[in-house]
Amino acid sequence: MCGIAGIARRAATGVSVDALGRMAAAIKHRGPDGHGFYVGQRVGFAHVRLSIVDIAGGAQPLTNEDGQYVITYNGEVYNHIELRRELENKGHVFRTHCDTEVLVHGYEEWGAQMLQRLNGQFAFAIYDRTNETVFLARDRFGVRPLFYAQREGNLYFGSEVKAILASGEVEASLNPLGIDETFTFWAARPPRTAFQGIGCMEPGTYAIWRDGGLWFHRYYELDYPEATAEPRDAIEQLDEIMRSGVGLRMRADVPVGAYLSGGLDSSITSALAAKASPYTLRSFSIAFDDPRYDESEFQRTMAAAVGSVHAVASIGQSSIAESFPSVIHHAETPLLRTAPVPMYHLAKLTKDAGIKVVLTGEGADELFLGYDLFKEVSVRRFCLRRPESAMRQRLFDRLYPYLIGEGRGGEFWRRFFMDAGPTADPLFSHMPRFMLTSRIKDFYSAEFRAEIATADPLGELRASIPTRFFGWSPLNQAAFLEMTTLLSPYLLASQGDRMGMAHGVEGRFPFLDHRLFEFASSLPTSSRLLGLREKEVLRRWAKRILPPRINQRGKQPYRAPDAPSFFAPGAPAWVNDLLTPDALQRVGVFAPASVAGLIRRCKSGQATGFRENQALLGVLSTQLWHHDFVEHPASVSPLSARTADVVLTDAVPVHS
Amino acid sequence: MQTPSSEILTRVRGFLQENFLYMRPDLELGADDRLMERGIVDSMGVLEMLNFIETEFGVRASDDEISEANLGSLRAIAQFVAEKQTAAAA
Repeated sequence: MCGIAGIARRAATGVSVDALGRMAAAIKHRGPDGHGFYVGQRVGFAHVRLSIVDIAGGAQPLTNEDGQYVITYNGEVYNHIELRRELENKGHVFRTHCDTEVLVHGYEEWGAQMLQRLNGQFAFAIYDRTNETVFLARDRFGVRPLFYAQREGNLYFGSEVKAILASGEVEASLNPLGIDETFTFWAARPPRTAFQGIGCMEPGTYAIWRDGGLWFHRYYELDYPEATAEPRDAIEQLDEIMRSGVGLRMRADVPVGAYLSGGLDSSITSALAAKASPYTLRSFSIAFDDPRYDESEFQRTMAAAVGSVHAVASIGQSSIAESFPSVIHHAETPLLRTAPVPMYHLAKLTKDAGIKVVLTGEGADELFLGYDLFKEVSVRRFCLRRPESAMRQRLFDRLYPYLIGEGRGGEFWRRFFMDAGPTADPLFSHMPRFMLTSRIKDFYSAEFRAEIATADPLGELRASIPTRFFGWSPLNQAAFLEMTTLLSPYLLASQGDRMGMAHGVEGRFPFLDHRLFEFASSLPTSSRLLGLREKEVLRRWAKRILPPRINQRGKQPYRAPDAPSFFAPGAPAWVNDLLTPDALQRVGVFAPASVAGLIRRCKSGQATGFRENQALLGVLSTQLWHHDFVEHPASVSPLSARTADVVLTDAVPVHS
Repeated sequence: MQTPSSEILTRVRGFLQENFLYMRPDLELGADDRLMERGIVDSMGVLEMLNFIETEFGVRASDDEISEANLGSLRAIAQFVAEKQTAAAA
């Protein structure tokens, strides 16, 4: 796991090693173990390395035998041993044992078709020196990030936006449409980002740069070919894929640990990891001082059951406010939740324990319909068939007992779901979330409102939906929207890659093995959500490996304490500094008078609801983001070619 | 204690303006405006508004009474509170 960056020039005017050094330095946290460069007349690559596989021989950038293809690569291809064997049989000669080299030979052999063969999480760039093309690719589900910008025919790319900005050739400015999408979906929808003119590669796509142009192609489509009945051997199939998925993800030349939240998903990955690990498994979790968010009892139960050596990072209110600026710096986007903060601390705990790689449970909720949102879809559809039935609507109270407070939600609470939109809308499943999130737009300034007057994030999302979507069941439609609007752009980014890599910790996701996705998406939805019981088939199978107390546990939404931490005694000074009318006007997104009202309510303890909580976080994070990237971009000292593990140049000829 | 309907309406309007409409100062709230439909109070906000009404006017709403008919507009609220106060005084 690593960080990558590069520049490709339309004219062969050279790429300075200084610019590449700055780009590498900006993402050094992703790869603290070493760095390297390829410096050519047309193309330059940078690489920072977190060494996990072939510690001695895996320095990058790296070429194939004849030097035609140069790669800079971030990620893991888990089936590299099998692919290597296949390529060796075809006559390719390998110099290292790392998966990186499999990609250059694989690309030489199969071209873009190679991507179909990869099982893994990756983002990489390959320069073909003979044909003068750059090939950029990102994994199927968007685990590893890849950003790009084009200026005057030149291409800039990087694992994080800050690498692109560090080139000194791409300016940071606010993208109103990206901001407005963030405040609709929780994150801008790839390829859009919060930065003007900087794109995010969509998951499951590749791009080819040639002569100053960039062409995108999709190589992987999410599909839900739902069967009418569960296969008789479903449990056996699931068992095989899960064990193989975890086994492949234990491949590393360093010990692999596990995140253990105490819920079903990370308990499954931890239990399998403990069985597959040659070492005693190290597991890690977060505990909150506030007992409403604390799951430490279940974490201890599970750690004891799998026999892992468990470590806990305890998070109090003050840690949220203290760490928020660093979290925004790494996430590179405004946020509506503080949930990334505990993930940031969890990664630090893991790194301090000397572990660089962890298995986590992300993806299970999307594949096996674990989220409450999926139940909500079923209940809303059920109620809308007989809207006059008050009894049916009481099901909403059962869905969200922790939100309705004292059981006094009443008719209004239920009406919110009933009025959230017609079932014929392709976005039906997500309209309650989108509507709630969009309430933050009440705080927009008049000027910003005018700037986005023609923006239509929901309309654009509807227009982007593939035709096959309309043949899927409502729950699979919801699952698709969840995968595309939330999993990759928010969960795997702001709570996943960015928080882990802030501390040089690589997450691996057995539930995001594409074989498992294809298995789950072909099951009847009733195998995944049976009535209001989520992850049904997964629970049936997990009986084999988990204590009953964990396996039968209902879904606990992952929540972290929010607004009060920013106004508690001893809260950091930046909170007030960034919320002054002047500071708000400089950014221009939010109206100072409205924010003043919000602050007044936060300080008096009145802003206890979801709506104002998310507004506060949206305002604070937008201000921090703008301050960090637009107003005061950090200048970085370049990583030096003298201290690099490898520096390749065009002096090495291409042997034909 | 009985509060005149017009005063209930004014005090609830003041509460909503200060707590739910401070970020929308240009919005004028009419007595018959539907609070939910106009996006003034959402399902979470209803509890906060209810808490104000109960504390301010000394009434208590049962779960069944937390409805659009009783709390859907300023006029509906004023009428509901006045009726609850009358019933309590009787």
